[in-house]
Amino acid sequence: MTRYLLKRLFWMVPLLVGISLISFLIMHLAPGDITTTEAGFNPKASEESRQKLRKLYHLDEPLLTQYGYWLQRMGTLDFGTSFATHQRPVFWEKKDEHGNEQKGLIQDALPITLLINVLSLGLIVIVALPLGVISALHQNGPPDRAITIFVFVGFAVPGFWLALMLMYWLGVAHDWLPISGLHSLDYEKMGVLAQIVDSAKHLAIPVFISALGGLAGISLFVKNGMLDVLHQDYITTARAKGLPENTVVYRHALRNAMLPLITLLGLSIPGLIGGSVIAESLFAIPGMGKLFYDAVMMRDFPVIMGILTIGAALTLIGNLLADIAYAWADPRVRRGVGG
Amino acid sequence: MKYALANPLARWGAFIIGSILLLAFLAPIIAPFDPDAIDVKAILLAPSSVHWMGTDGLGRDVFSRMLFGARISLLVGFVAVGIATAIGIVLGAIAGFYRGWVNVVIMRLVDVMLSIPTFFLILAVIAFLTPSIWNIMIVIGLTSWMGVTRLVRAEFLSLREREFVLSAQTLGAKNLRLIFRHLLPNSLTPIIVSFVLGVASAVLIESGLSFLGLGVQPPQASWGNILTDGKEYIQFAWWLSLFPGLAILLTVLGYNLLGEGLRDALDPRTAKIKS
Repeated sequence: MTRYLLKRLFWMVPLLVGISLISFLIMHLAPGDITTTEAGFNPKASEESRQKLRKLYHLDEPLLTQYGYWLQRMGTLDFGTSFATHQRPVFWEKKDEHGNEQKGLIQDALPITLLINVLSLGLIVIVALPLGVISALHQNGPPDRAITIFVFVGFAVPGFWLALMLMYWLGVAHDWLPISGLHSLDYEKMGVLAQIVDSAKHLAIPVFISALGGLAGISLFVKNGMLDVLHQDYITTARAKGLPENTVVYRHALRNAMLPLITLLGLSIPGLIGGSVIAESLFAIPGMGKLFYDAVMMRDFPVIMGILTIGAALTLIGNLLADIAYAWADPRVRRGVGG
Repeated sequence: MKYALANPLARWGAFIIGSILLLAFLAPIIAPFDPDAIDVKAILLAPSSVHWMGTDGLGRDVFSRMLFGARISLLVGFVAVGIATAIGIVLGAIAGFYRGWVNVVIMRLVDVMLSIPTFFLILAVIAFLTPSIWNIMIVIGLTSWMGVTRLVRAEFLSLREREFVLSAQTLGAKNLRLIFRHLLPNSLTPIIVSFVLGVASAVLIESGLSFLGLGVQPPQASWGNILTDGKEYIQFAWWLSLFPGLAILLTVLGYNLLGEGLRDALDPRTAKIKS
C-alpha cells in the first residue's frame, strides 16, 4: 500500500510542472504583455496597477527568470494580493505593511465551494445508486425507460437556465426558498437548528443544480456497471447456491459495480469546481466560482492565476484520494496483484 | 448511414438536429423581423400571432433573434469541436503510432489539461483576450481535445497490432500510408461519435459563456445572451427566459441522442456491453 501511494505521489510531480507551464503560458497569451492588454471590462486600469503587475510577475526580466519566479510562487502558494481596493491576499491570511492580519480571498471562498461540492456528491450517490440499480434490474421495463429519459434530459438541460427557472418559480413566484446568498440577514440571532434550516434553504437549489449533470451520468454508469457484473459467472454461482436475490444484488453485484464509481467521482471534481462559476454567481454565493467570475470581470490577474492553480491542485488531490479509496476498497490493487 | 438511422435514438437525434440546421440555414428567409431592429413601441410584448415568441426589452422580435441565435450556436459548436478534433487526431495518432517517449509526453499533457477545471481555464483565457465569437471557438477548441486524443491513441494502439496493418507494413507501406490508408479510416466511427457528442457540450459551454457576458457580445443574438436579458425581466416576461433555454436543451438533447445512437449502431463492441 505504501509503495502504491509513493508511486502515485511521484506521478503528481510531472503534472504539477505541467500545470505551472500551462498557467505561465496563459499569462503570456495576450499580445504584448498582460499590462498592455486592452482591459475591455476595466478601461480605468491605472498605471499604478500596471506597475504592480509588472513587479508581481517580474515582467521586465527574461522569460526563463519569470518562469522561475512563477514556480517559486506556486511552490510557496504565494499569489500576491488582489488588485481590488481591499488589496487582500489571494490565498491565505497575511500581515499587510501596517501589521494588520488580512484573511485570504481563497481562504474564505474555498470552504463554501467544498461544502457545496461535498453535498452535491452526496446527493449524487444517494440518488444515482438506486436509480442505476433499479434501471439495471428492470432493463427495458418502464422504470428503466423513465430513468433513461431522465438521464438524457439531465445531460442536455443547461444548468444555469434550470437554476433561473427554479429561482423564479420557487423564490419569486412562490417565495418558498431564498434566492441569494448563504444566510438570511438575521442568521446570527437564530438558534443552531434554525441556522441549519436557514443554510439548507439557501443551498437547496444551488446544490441540486450542481449535482444534476452528475446525477444523470452516474445513474447511467451504475446501470451499465450493474449490467456488466450481473452477467458474470460468480453471480450465477451465487444464485445457484441459493442465496436470496437481495444478497446477490446488493452484496455481490453492487459492491463490484461500485468500484469504478470511486474513480469516476474523483474525476468529476474539476467539473464540479469549474461548474460552480455560473451557479455561484447566479445565487450570489461567495465561493470559488463567484470569486473567479468577479476576478475575470475586473481583470484581477493575481486572483485569476491563484484560483486556476489552486483549482488544479484540488483536482490532483481529489484524484489521489480517489486512487487511495480505490486501493482501499479493492484488495487486488491494495496487494499489488493483477487489476 | 442508412444502417445507423435504423437506430431509434439516432433517428430522433437526426430529426431534431436536421430541423434546427434547416431553421438556422433559412433564418434570413423565415425570420419575420430584422433580429436587431429596435422598436420602442413594442417593448416586452407577450407571444402573439405577430411576435410568436414575444419581444424583448428593446422591442426586438424574440423569434427572429432565436433563429439567428441558432446559427451562432451551431457555428460555434462545429468550429470549436472541429478544432478540438483536429488537434486530438494529430496528437492521438502520433502517440498511438510512434509510442515510446512521444506517447508518454502527449499523455502527460492530456493529464495536465484534464486536471485544470475546464470552465476556469476557458474563463481565464478569455480574461486575457477579448471576448468575441472567434476567440470563444478557439478557446473551447483548445481546451477540449483531450478526449479525442485518448480515443484515437487507443484505437491506433490496438489497430497497429492487427493482421491487416502488419501485412501492409510487411509489404513495405510507408508510415504515412499506414496512418492515412489503414489506421485512420478504421478509427473513424469513434471519432464521429465523439465529434457529435462534443458539439453538444460546446453548445452548452458557449451558451453558458454568453449568459455570463463573456461569450458572444450583444447586439449579436445568441441563445445565451437572450437568456441574460431574460434574467433581468424574469418577473414579467417569462418568454424571454423560457424559449432560449428550451432551444439549448433541445439542441443538446438532439446531438446526444444522435451521438449515442450512432455509437450503438456503428460500434458493435459497446452495443454488446449495453444489451
